[in-house]
Amino acid sequence: MTAIATGARVFRLEDSPPHRCADASGGQREEALEGRAEHAAKTPVRPALGLAHISLTFGGVAALREVDLDVAEGEIRAVIGPNGAGKSSLLNIVSGLYRPDRGEVWFGERSFREVPTSKLAGLGVARTFQNLALFKGLSVFDNVLMGLAHRVRAGFLQQIVGSPLARRIEAENRAAAEEVIGFLHLTEVRDRLAGTLPYGVQKGVELARALVTRPKLLLLDEPFAGVTLAEKRELSQHVRNARDSFGTTIVLIEHDIGVVMGLSDRVAVLDYGRKIADGTPAQVRTDPAVIDAYLGVAHETDTEFEI
Amino acid sequence: MFDYQFLLEVLIGGLLSGVMYSLVAIGFVLIYKTSGVLNFAQGAMLLFAALTFVSLVERGAPFLAALAATLVIMVVLGIATERLVLRPLVNQPPVTLFMATLGLSYVIEGAAQLLWGTQVHGLDIGISDAPFEVAGVLISRFDLFAAAVAGSLVALFALFFRYTRTGLSFRAVADDQFAALAVGLRLPRVWAAVWIVAGIVALVGGLLWGARLGVQFSLSLVVLKALPVLVLGGFDSITGAIVGGLLVGAIEKLAEVYVGPLFGGGIEAWAAYVAALALLLIRPSGLFGQKLVERV
Amino acid sequence: MPTLISAKSNWFSSEALWIGLVIVAAYGIIPLAGTDYLLDAVLTPFLALSLAAVGLNVLTGYAGQVSLGSAAFLAVGAYAAYNLHLRFPALPLLIDLVLAGGVAAAIGIVFGLPSLRLRGFYLAVSTLAAQFFVQWALTKFSWFSNDNPSGVIDAPTLSIGGVAFTSPAERYVFTLTVVIVLTLLTLRLLRSQSGRNFIAVRDHEIAARVIGVPLLRTKLLAFAASSFLIGVAGVLWAFAYLRTVEPAGFNLDRSFQILFIIIIGGLASLRGSFIGAAFIVVFPLLLSRIGAALLGSVFDSGVLEMSQRIVIGGLIIVFLSAEPRGLIALWDRAWAAIRPANRSLLPS
Repeated sequence: MTAIATGARVFRLEDSPPHRCADASGGQREEALEGRAEHAAKTPVRPALGLAHISLTFGGVAALREVDLDVAEGEIRAVIGPNGAGKSSLLNIVSGLYRPDRGEVWFGERSFREVPTSKLAGLGVARTFQNLALFKGLSVFDNVLMGLAHRVRAGFLQQIVGSPLARRIEAENRAAAEEVIGFLHLTEVRDRLAGTLPYGVQKGVELARALVTRPKLLLLDEPFAGVTLAEKRELSQHVRNARDSFGTTIVLIEHDIGVVMGLSDRVAVLDYGRKIADGTPAQVRTDPAVIDAYLGVAHETDTEFEI
Repeated sequence: MFDYQFLLEVLIGGLLSGVMYSLVAIGFVLIYKTSGVLNFAQGAMLLFAALTFVSLVERGAPFLAALAATLVIMVVLGIATERLVLRPLVNQPPVTLFMATLGLSYVIEGAAQLLWGTQVHGLDIGISDAPFEVAGVLISRFDLFAAAVAGSLVALFALFFRYTRTGLSFRAVADDQFAALAVGLRLPRVWAAVWIVAGIVALVGGLLWGARLGVQFSLSLVVLKALPVLVLGGFDSITGAIVGGLLVGAIEKLAEVYVGPLFGGGIEAWAAYVAALALLLIRPSGLFGQKLVERV
Repeated sequence: MPTLISAKSNWFSSEALWIGLVIVAAYGIIPLAGTDYLLDAVLTPFLALSLAAVGLNVLTGYAGQVSLGSAAFLAVGAYAAYNLHLRFPALPLLIDLVLAGGVAAAIGIVFGLPSLRLRGFYLAVSTLAAQFFVQWALTKFSWFSNDNPSGVIDAPTLSIGGVAFTSPAERYVFTLTVVIVLTLLTLRLLRSQSGRNFIAVRDHEIAARVIGVPLLRTKLLAFAASSFLIGVAGVLWAFAYLRTVEPAGFNLDRSFQILFIIIIGGLASLRGSFIGAAFIVVFPLLLSRIGAALLGSVFDSGVLEMSQRIVIGGLIIVFLSAEPRGLIALWDRAWAAIRPANRSLLPS
């Protein structure tokens, strides 16, 4: 266990092994991972998600500058950086909530100047939010069911009278929601209103809502922020399972370096809107630029103002 | 041949009556800026102030004494509103607060008329409504007076915000509530103060509007005239309230004179709303309102 | 899991039982036991207002879009049905009723379009445009009222397939039937994906958009369904209750009244719409009795109206701050306290 203690906070660079890839074993872990990344870079196949030259400014302040990022299929890819480094902006660009001043977003073969948010679910992309974005007035089950809203093709009149199409879709969606709720151990709170649950459980529900669509690409915005250590372990296990069971490609945003080390295949580091490092957890951990960036912000408080 | 002289007269008449709208809208902006509440009860406060004043005068109180007494009552009303409406609803979504002020407007209207009765009162504040002529254009003396009052009120506010402690604390709270809290400002006190100021604005507006329309229940409906003004100008800008008021005044009069005949008249009731709606679709935060970036 | 499912179906059947009991009482007992005054001056307006409140609740309570223009849609429904009956005498009344709702829905969609860009009270202000525009149009163009100069219309007799509903009890039964059918359909809508979409858009619009909820369609559906229900409520108000209406009767105060019903009764609750409407109808009657008993002749109609305003306005503030879920939450709590064993059987 390596720990870099700095005035205000402690970053744990965990020694626990990175995720065990299906094609890697024992001592060749690291090499296999690197080989895998190289492999992804060499093949003509486009990455599952690609960002090219993304720049974004808010009223003259640059939030992101010329950021490139590629995420290989089936990879767990972390983007880390201190508060205000531009991580959330990056996810908001990928989900079409912000329009970049420059650059393109690639989903496989399709590129977008501005990602159409309304088509995101159809493209197989799901996300969670930094500050919980559950539907407080719906039950846990209904929240998860909402993840499949885009699959409901029956018109409202069909829904009211219960046409065969409407009934079939509803039954399929309900079955899928039940399955994910079981998968994430949420059965006990299934009928509770989402707004009444503890924070950590709500994070789990949000993950369930994103996973219910079996997304090709899953974007997680600080999924471990503010949850207990036990919940952190459980949630990261779910993230790993999602990739292993459904082959989901995962992009994970965290401001705490330690959490993602054991979980991710590759890590990109943002600081002041620039990408300052990119590589395996082992490479990033020892990168002097990264250490500087984190030491440099160590004086700031750990609190984030939520809006 | 198009009568430009007439157009000018309509336009000036409209702009001047628009000042009267601004006078109501300023009260809204003050409260919205500091507490994020769209105060539907501003019209009711206006009615309450005017009715109290005119009833005191009719019962034989001298002008200044009645004014002072009304002022005191508006101060009490402001403090009571903060205690009984704002404080229990702190941290509620803005729409909830808005609906609460709907309730508040019912309470104030009901109380005003229960106390002072429902009959119409004339109010003479000593300004004649006789028009005078400038370069062939007729201008109402009363309108000009109202414009002067509104102008001095705005100037007074500018000084108040710049040079007084209370004014500065208003600005601090409007800028950033959390930071204001952090430096030790007491929000309830600031809110009460701002409702008191809004009450004073309501008194001024109530006297002018009351002198124009007579003091009666319909006075509280000027709130409905002020809403499109706010939408046009933006809810958080005093400049916006002034410009918006002028615009609405001009739009209403011009529409009534030039577009109204096409529909058989009476379009004053909604012309301003349609204009405001059209603007909203282009600029959702009004002409002078702050644009907010949505954070997720 | 199996236990949960069976609990759920129990819950459904108990709900169905409750609805059944209320319907049986409403059809079987009240028309026979109620006086004409009760039926005509209390129950029929209560039902019409309940339906209007159900409509507004769909839009404001469930979909989160505040509207201050409900009375405009009452008026559109009433005048549309009147004109359909006048100009297409061959159409059966029930068709008129549905088409009038459809006209209100169409106008609701037009005034709902701004909701795509406007939120909160910006939208509320823009719905005032509907209020003023409709009232103006109905007063201004006498075509709508068959050339009556003040816009007054006299409703035709309610009759379906040769059966006329003329007595207070008959008009009550007609109103009751329409209200029950539409409320049950609304319940179906709210429990479908569209209903979940409403709540999603209300609770977190951005998350809803990212998930793929069609915002445009969802919001316009909320406006259309709400306006349809309020439009039909307007037909009931004009044809079954007042029978002579004028545009001035559908003023801003009426819009506020319907908004107050759902705030007091309970936002996002169909049962709340009914409880709230019952309160708004019964409260003035109670207040006038109590006031007259306590104060005698001092308590005239003016004093009654003013004290009514004060109490209703005060209640709005109290409910918003102390119990935002309204009377229905108080009712549920009282019920749970009386019969703790039945807590799980309460319909929502």
